[in-house]
Amino acid sequence: MSSLREKILTTASALFQTQGINSTGVDTIVAVAGTTKMTLYKYFGSKETLILEVLKQGHQDFQSWLNHKLSTNTKKPGEKIQKLFDYIEEWVASPDFQGVGFIKASAEFPKEENPVHQLSSEQSLQFRQYISQLAAEANIQDADGLALQLSLLFEGAVQAEQMKRGSGAMKYAKTAAKILIDGALTH
Amino acid sequence: MLAKSSDTPQGRLLGLFDILDDWLNAPHLQKTANLEPGDHSQLIAFCTEQAKTLGAENPTMLAEHIVLIAKNAAQQTLALKTSPVFNQHHLVHAKKAAHALILAQTQKASVFSNLSQSKPARYSIAASFILVLSVATVWLTLPTKMYIPQSKLAQNDLVTTTALSQEKGLTAQDATKMYTKYEQMRQGTCQFPEALLIPDKHKAIYLDNVVGGKLPTTLSDLAVANFYLEQVRCNFTPMLMAASK
Repeated sequence: MSSLREKILTTASALFQTQGINSTGVDTIVAVAGTTKMTLYKYFGSKETLILEVLKQGHQDFQSWLNHKLSTNTKKPGEKIQKLFDYIEEWVASPDFQGVGFIKASAEFPKEENPVHQLSSEQSLQFRQYISQLAAEANIQDADGLALQLSLLFEGAVQAEQMKRGSGAMKYAKTAAKILIDGALTH
Repeated sequence: MLAKSSDTPQGRLLGLFDILDDWLNAPHLQKTANLEPGDHSQLIAFCTEQAKTLGAENPTMLAEHIVLIAKNAAQQTLALKTSPVFNQHHLVHAKKAAHALILAQTQKASVFSNLSQSKPARYSIAASFILVLSVATVWLTLPTKMYIPQSKLAQNDLVTTTALSQEKGLTAQDATKMYTKYEQMRQGTCQFPEALLIPDKHKAIYLDNVVGGKLPTTLSDLAVANFYLEQVRCNFTPMLMAASK
């Protein structure tokens, strides 16, 4: 039974990323997933809950992928921040990259009181805190400041990439990140 | 407003962040003030022009990315205005990120322009070389005079020469030290203190001898220049690393 839930989740995720969240109807999701509206509502209750679940899953997948890459490819904890943008670039360049859930969701739900907007802001903050943690592991003094700079670079590049696929925005973001990290390390 | 914010294309690009920062910190600004979503085409066009002048590899993308960063940072600032922990200077950090992005897109060009020095810089190198030479001649003649035994005249001479050189020029050592500093600054990304904040009598010295990279002619000027040189914050590693890439 839970595999059906899984199926709805992955289908919805793919449709949200390719067609947009607002323009994907529940009818389309159930049709593509090969299930019924009844089943969808049984598992998720509402479209909004489904969106929130998709976002949570997507963020978790991204975070664990990144974490795995960073911990298997670095020896010292301080190296992680240096490699961060290498893997982000790899991920953005991969053919199945369709955008970052929380960045898209926050653009589609601009009202601050909306739960989807709130979750995406929270995830954006979580990611920034993750970068801050990597910066702190590298003994960078102003870890929060650097994390803010890097997350602004990252989000801007993803948005540019979402507007124009293959724009190469992340390539420059990576170089810029290196400049900022090196600068922060020498202080 | 942005067009007049600076004399340089980079200054005009980064001026965007200062203007936004001012605007967002204005007390009358309500949290409800929403940043117009969507159309920033005019702003992007303006920024693209600046990026082109800067010699960016991909001016349109640099402009778009910078505007996105500014927009995101401004939105985050607005969202934080109600929260009690409103202390992170998003636009200040956004400006740093944008600056790094400008460097990332112009590094090849700047390495090139480092090789072919600008006219005034070349001029000042030539001028100061002559100065170093003349100072060095004064310096070298001193010891010979000291060897003249029991010559009060010579000693007097020495005193007056040193006094003179203190007023007029600097020793070769001073000049070399200054040169090392200028050379270092040229290799890094430097943030100069605002000239407006500097007292009028020092302003000329600051602009010529710190920002302009001209060697000061007197020791008192050198002291002033040195004081401001200490305040220039430079970031060296990245440019070097980028050049070796």
